[in-house]
Amino acid sequence: MTAAQDSLRCPGMHDLGPEEMARFRRIEEVFRASCESWGFREIRTPVVEHLHLFTSAGTLSPQMLGRVYSFLDWDGWSGERVVLRPDGTIPAARLYWERYRGEIAKLFYVENLFRFAASGERREVWQCGAELIGESWPAGDLEVIAVVRGVLRRLGFERLTLRLSHTGIIRSILATAGYSPEEQLALYDRLIDGDPSVWPEIAGALPQTGAPLTMLRDLTGGQVHGLANLQSALGPTLPAIVPPIEELRTIASSLELAGCSYELDLTIVRGFEYYTGPVFQVLIDGENVAGGGRYDGLIASQEGHSVPACGFAISIEPLLDRLDNPRPGEEINLIDVSIAGRSPSVLASALGLVTELHEQGYDAELVAQPLFKGRWTIEVSDRDGRAAYRLRDLTAGSSFDAATVNEVTQRIERGARA
Amino acid sequence: VIKLALPGGDIRDQAASLLTSLGLHSEEYADGSRAYRFPLASEEAELRVFREKDIPIQIALGNYDLGICNRVWLDELQARYPQEQVVALRTLGFGAMKVVAAVAPESLRALGPVEDWGEIEGLRIAAEYPNLAEQFALAARFSRYHILPVWGAAGSYPPDDAELAVFADSGTAADRLGLRIIARLASGSACLLANRTSLAQKDLRPLLEPLFTGDQMSSEAGERMLPAFRPTNGTRRTISRQRQPDLRLALPDGHAQRHTYAAFQAAGIEFEGYAEKQAVVRPTSPIPGLQVKVIRPQDMPQQVALGSFDLAVTGRDWLLDHLIAFPSSPVREVADLQRSRYSLCAVVDEAIPGDTLAAALAYWRSHNREVIRIASEYANLADHFARQRHIGRYQIIPVSGASEGFVPEDAEILIEGTETGTSVAANKLKIVDRIFESTNCLIARADPPDGPAGALLRSLVERLQASVAISA
Repeated sequence: MTAAQDSLRCPGMHDLGPEEMARFRRIEEVFRASCESWGFREIRTPVVEHLHLFTSAGTLSPQMLGRVYSFLDWDGWSGERVVLRPDGTIPAARLYWERYRGEIAKLFYVENLFRFAASGERREVWQCGAELIGESWPAGDLEVIAVVRGVLRRLGFERLTLRLSHTGIIRSILATAGYSPEEQLALYDRLIDGDPSVWPEIAGALPQTGAPLTMLRDLTGGQVHGLANLQSALGPTLPAIVPPIEELRTIASSLELAGCSYELDLTIVRGFEYYTGPVFQVLIDGENVAGGGRYDGLIASQEGHSVPACGFAISIEPLLDRLDNPRPGEEINLIDVSIAGRSPSVLASALGLVTELHEQGYDAELVAQPLFKGRWTIEVSDRDGRAAYRLRDLTAGSSFDAATVNEVTQRIERGARA
Repeated sequence: VIKLALPGGDIRDQAASLLTSLGLHSEEYADGSRAYRFPLASEEAELRVFREKDIPIQIALGNYDLGICNRVWLDELQARYPQEQVVALRTLGFGAMKVVAAVAPESLRALGPVEDWGEIEGLRIAAEYPNLAEQFALAARFSRYHILPVWGAAGSYPPDDAELAVFADSGTAADRLGLRIIARLASGSACLLANRTSLAQKDLRPLLEPLFTGDQMSSEAGERMLPAFRPTNGTRRTISRQRQPDLRLALPDGHAQRHTYAAFQAAGIEFEGYAEKQAVVRPTSPIPGLQVKVIRPQDMPQQVALGSFDLAVTGRDWLLDHLIAFPSSPVREVADLQRSRYSLCAVVDEAIPGDTLAAALAYWRSHNREVIRIASEYANLADHFARQRHIGRYQIIPVSGASEGFVPEDAEILIEGTETGTSVAANKLKIVDRIFESTNCLIARADPPDGPAGALLRSLVERLQASVAISA
C-alpha cells in the first residue's frame, strides 16, 4: 500500500483484516462462552449517547472528558451534544436503570469505544466488558475477578498478574485531610491523570498521620499482611481508612485461600471517577490488559438512587497482538465451484450447485477460476446443453465426473466419511 | 515571503501603530484601507487582514506564518482543538480583555448559589466563545446543559433566554447589562502567534526581530477563575420554564436592521428604540402583549426553534444554514418580506478559465489540487453545497468576516452573498454558481402559540404580508 492510500484512513483508526478478525472472533467467542457460563447475558448499547450521561461528577474524569468525540446531532438545535461512546460501563448502567432497575442484572458486551488520542495512538478501542449490577460486595467483586481470569486463561494466557487496590483508601485520606468535596474531586482527578505531585501535597495536609503516606506506594507488590500493617500504621490517625482496608483484606484473603495469586498496588485509582470500592488490574508481561472494580455510586450520579455494582473490561487489542494466527487450512474448508464459460445455463447450474451444497451444510463459494483453497474443487461446464460437473479431491489426488448435483453431493459425502 | 495575518476591527489601529513604531509600516493597513491583502513596505512580508477570530485558525491551517490577535481567540480554538499547530510567542501590550461567564441576579435568586448549579438540568449558556463555554460547563460538571453559540450580544440573553452568558468584557460590559460575573474563562491582550512548522523551518527573522524588541512579555494564557462547584451527590433539579403570555419578537441588528425597520414601517409598526441605524436591546412595542428584543440575525433560527422567541426576522440564508444542520428543527418561514435581496453564490478567482463550477474543478484537478478549500460564513450551507455538487475531497473553512479576501490564496471557493456582483468583481473574483436567492423573512415555530399570543402572531404576519403585497 502506498503512503497516499494509507492516508485515506483516519488517524487513530485501524482496519482489522481477516487474520486479525479470526483472532478477534476467538477472543469474543471465549469471552461470550465464559460470561454465559457465569450467568451473564449479552447486551449491545448504541454508539451514540447523550453527552450529559458522562459529564456529572462521579462519571468520567475531566481529562477523559477532554478526549470525547462530541458533536451536535442532526436534531441538536437545542445545543445539547451527543457523544461517540467513550466508555462501556456508563451506557450499561443507563440500560440497567431503564430496563432492570430493582433487579440483579448480569450484563456483558463487546463494544468499540472512541477517545481522542495523540497521533499514532488508537482512537477506537475494542473492549469485552461485563457488569454485575445489584450485587453487593464482596461476592460480586470476587466473581468478576474470577470471570476475567477465566477468560484470559481459556485464551491461553497463564502468566497473569492481578493487582488489587481500593479507591476508598485514597478517598478517605483526601476527606480526612480536610479538603472540601470539590477539592477532593479535583485531587482525585489529578491522581487519575497520573500527576505524582499530588502525594506530597496531600501528605502536607496531614501532619498528624502516624506513618508516611508513601507507605501506600511502598506496599506495591505486597500481600494481605501489608494491608494489616497499613491499618496498624495509619488507622489510629486516619480512622476513615479502616473500612476500605478491611474490605480489601476480605477480597485479598479470599483470593489467597482460593489459590489465586495477586499483589497489592494501592496507587491504582483506575482512569474513571465512578469507582468507589475495590479495583483491580490484570497484566500480561507488564502490560495492562484488563481492569475493573466496584462503582456503587455511578447509578446514583445518573438518577439519584444508589445501586451496588461492579464490573470489568478486557482490552481486545493487546490480546490480539499476543494470540497466534490460526494454522493455514485450519479455518478453510471451502468447496470451490468454478465455471467453464459464461453462458447463463452454466452460471445457473453453478449457482444451483452452490446453493444445494449450502443447504446440505457445506461451505462453498462461486469463483471464476479454481482457487484450490480447500479439499474439493468443482468445475461446472456445459456438455451438449446439459450441466457437467468435474470434481477434484485435492486431499486424495483424484478426480471424478458427475452429471447431477445429487451425484456431486454423494461423492463429497463419501469422501468425507472415507 | 513571510505571511502575516493582521487583525481588522477594534485593535487594528493599535496593531498598525505598533508595526509602524517597529519599522514595519504598511500604509494601506495603517490607513484603514478596505483591501484585504497588501505587501509590507520592505517587501519581506505579505499582509492580510482578517477578523481576529479567524487568525488562529488560519495560522493553524498553515496558511500564515505569523499573526496578531487577542490571546483569548487562541484559547477559544485550543479549548476544542488542543493539538493545533499554533504557538503564542509574546504579548504586545494592548487590547486587554477577558472572557467571562455571567448570570443575571434574577437567575441567582431563582436557582440558588451558582456553586450548586451542577444539580440543575437544562442550563442554557449563550456563548460568543462556544468552545470556552463547553470547557467551562465540563469543568463545572453541569449534568445537562445547552450551549447556544451566538454571533454576538450574548450578554443580552440572561435571564429570560439563557441562565448564563459567555462574552468578552474589557471592563464594564457585564455591569452595563446588569449581570454578575461568576467566572473568568480566559484573559489576555493582543499577542503574536506563529505556526509551529513555520517557526521550526522557515526564516522569520525579518519580522521576528523587530517584533521582539522592547520588553519581553509572557505569552502564557491568563489564569482561569471558576467558582468552587460542589459535587452533586446525585441530587437533580430541573428549571421550570413557563411560557409567558406575551408574544416575543426578535429583530436583527447590523446590516439587516435597515431593511427590517423599513418592512415594519411599511406595515405601520414602529418600535421605540429600533430605528434604521440605532437599536437598544429591548425596544418598546406600541402593540400590547408584544415583547421585542434585538439579537443577531444569524442566531434567530435556533432561538425560535428553542421557543425563546415566537417570531423573528432573519435572512433566508441563515434559516437554511440552520435547517441544513438540523433538518428536524421546528422553525419555519412564515412570510417573505422581500427586502435585503441578494444571491448566495459560489465565487472563484477570476483568473480560473471558464465560467462554471465544473470548469473550475477541472482546472484545479489538472493542477493537482487534491483538497478544495471552501470558505464561508455559512459553514453548513457550504458543506451542503459541496456534497450536492460532488466536489469530492473538500475542506470547509468557517470564517467570521472579511471573506472576499480568502480567494484565491486561502481558499478555492467562497460561498458568499452578493447583491449586484460589484464587490465580487472589485475583488477580482467571479461567480460560477448561483445557489439561491435570499431575502429577509419572518420565521416562527411549526407549532405557534395558542390564545392571544397566537392571534397576535397571525395578525402581525398578515399586516406584514399585506404591506409586502402593496409594495409589490
